[in-house]
Amino acid sequence: MASTVSSPKRGTDTGATQRPQDLLTKEDHLAVLQQLYLARYFDVRLIKEKRRGRLTGTLYSSHNQEAILVGSLYGLKSTDWISPIHRDMPAFFMKDMREGWDRPSRKGMSIEDLCGQVWCKATSPGRARDNWSHIGSREHHIIHSTSMLAGTIPVAAGVVYADRLNGGDAVVLTYNGEGSTAQGVFHEAINFAAVHKLPVVTIIENNFWAYGTPNHLEYSQEDFARRADGYGIPGTVADGQDVFDVYDKVMEAVEYARSGKGPSIVECKTYRAYGHGDHDDDRAARYRPTVDESVTYRQMLEMGRQRDPISVAKKRLVELGYLTAEDATRYAAEGKHATQTTDEDFPPEVVDYIKRGVDAATQAATPPAEEGAMWVFREGQP
Amino acid sequence: MSNTLTADPSAPIKKNYLTGLKEAIFEEMEANPNMVCMGEDIGILGGAFGVTEGLQEKYGSQRVIDMPISEACIIGAAVGMALNGKTVLCEMQFIDFISCGFDQIVNMMATYHYRTAGEVSMPIVIRGPAGAYSGGALYHSQMNESWFLNSPGIKVVCPCTPSDAKGLMRAALRDPDPVLFYEIKNLYRLGKIEEEVGGADAIIPLGKARIARKGHDLTIATYGQNVYHCLDAAGVLSTEGIEVEVIDLRSLKPLDMATIQASVAKTNRFLAVNEAPMTCGFAGELVARVTDTCFEHLDAPPARLTRMDTPVPWAKALELHVLPSIEDIVREARRLVKY
Repeated sequence: MASTVSSPKRGTDTGATQRPQDLLTKEDHLAVLQQLYLARYFDVRLIKEKRRGRLTGTLYSSHNQEAILVGSLYGLKSTDWISPIHRDMPAFFMKDMREGWDRPSRKGMSIEDLCGQVWCKATSPGRARDNWSHIGSREHHIIHSTSMLAGTIPVAAGVVYADRLNGGDAVVLTYNGEGSTAQGVFHEAINFAAVHKLPVVTIIENNFWAYGTPNHLEYSQEDFARRADGYGIPGTVADGQDVFDVYDKVMEAVEYARSGKGPSIVECKTYRAYGHGDHDDDRAARYRPTVDESVTYRQMLEMGRQRDPISVAKKRLVELGYLTAEDATRYAAEGKHATQTTDEDFPPEVVDYIKRGVDAATQAATPPAEEGAMWVFREGQP
Repeated sequence: MSNTLTADPSAPIKKNYLTGLKEAIFEEMEANPNMVCMGEDIGILGGAFGVTEGLQEKYGSQRVIDMPISEACIIGAAVGMALNGKTVLCEMQFIDFISCGFDQIVNMMATYHYRTAGEVSMPIVIRGPAGAYSGGALYHSQMNESWFLNSPGIKVVCPCTPSDAKGLMRAALRDPDPVLFYEIKNLYRLGKIEEEVGGADAIIPLGKARIARKGHDLTIATYGQNVYHCLDAAGVLSTEGIEVEVIDLRSLKPLDMATIQASVAKTNRFLAVNEAPMTCGFAGELVARVTDTCFEHLDAPPARLTRMDTPVPWAKALELHVLPSIEDIVREARRLVKY
């Protein structure tokens, strides 16, 4: 695996060596596109539900960042672990989907479980005790996050350390915004992982904004992958709009980790579609275009706003002959604001799948009030 | 003792506080193959105070991990290991350094069981040397237990005898919930408190206080090295005809209120003594609970004696000035009894 690179490698790179994506079949390519729709539709649906006043809590949209989730999850084994954070909601139900969306042995949350969480219902795996993304599942190998950024990286390191003690070969993917790389615990955990060559892959979703603070006020270097330099571990940059480039870079990191070589960082360059959270949409529209006119910033705009992950994937599938140009025009969800899309912009099986979760959640009961005082300790005493 | 020709082989073997801890850790490592120890300098060096000496040699560097100087990473990694089925013992080289791992303790570890509605328990013990009266100055003297007592989801234990150190550590390492284990470094090798510590079955359940001295004029609830200060004060007071009941709480959360209440019902007076700062400290909590639940028994206002609301200074005279002393306890006891 290459050491740190200082500029993004685009998905259009054609090296002499075979890339992980070259081993993907036509069915894989079509499945990946389908999963992009699934992630997008989930987010679109939440945005619409929230605007209709049907949801409480804050929505941290993953719109336009789906390629990072789909591309990184697609190559994982069932036994691998992930730790998604607030902008990675689709990851909770999209883990381990490659062999089927609904098979009973799948190590990923059901859409019903996840919607139970979003709708604040008793059907949530955490019984609606903490909000939105702060869930997880030991059974499904998903680490529970808190609001303290980068805080799950040491936890992830501990999970795979224990797995290794048990003779396992699990890898853990941690998802982090680029803003969280400034936290001390980010460095403490990666240092520990590097010392013990733990299979921890740190994904940095660089969407150019740490809430309302742009890249150049977060880090002195252009590529956050260079955080790896201090630990002597590989740091690569992926085009976060290109699901197949993400797949390549993450798979290389995963195989590197699984083979015992240790941790690495994969920075995925992307662009946040809306505000930090839905409460921030109006302000974001004001603060973002005027902050910086640097080349990097314009590249980010171009990369993010003009290159929707769904259209980038479609283009690739057409090039490969897996999708006709005409088929590529069907389900035109790409390039649209969530509120401009309709259900007709998505494949019906995608709409049906998410609808299943929404229906289950809306019909589910809220947890009884007395549960608020339960489970502080195992035995239940306060 | 060292004369093997005259030593009685059936005589009880007295051990110090540190040995009590050490035996508990070795016995639990032996009994529980899923247990892992983590900390700074705990392996090759055997711990700054030697509590884990020989542990890595016996159980290997995979289970006894010399960690980088990263308290947040030690706690966070322990959480991950617990999430994946391990029991973890973490050492804070000094309990003062626990502040560097604060977020991982109060937000990650302490809330895990709550957040997951009981799916995931955190069998983690965080232990470390604590306490003042040692010339350790600001950052090697703290009793910071109230930070964590005010954070739901953490049990807090503080033994003051060798057998309690062993028995409570055994119980803590078998507890499904996170336990902060305050060890009093002044007591580690204190000869005068050496005693038998019990064998492999010596387990003392958390949440049971110990009556360290019986009396009927005043109840003093305390823990850690203040237990000895209170016992010394009780000795002085006894010569004046004042008989103090000294309760060694041993465990602050869970708290044995029943033992306190039974004692106050008998003595009708209550004093809480600890070496932590006063404001929002555990002594204040004890006074509040006694006021709430024993009011009709009280013949004097329940009181507390604590460190001043200051850091712990270095120079001996300064340090002793801000900490509760035997004289302070005697004076306060007299006041309450005469009230």
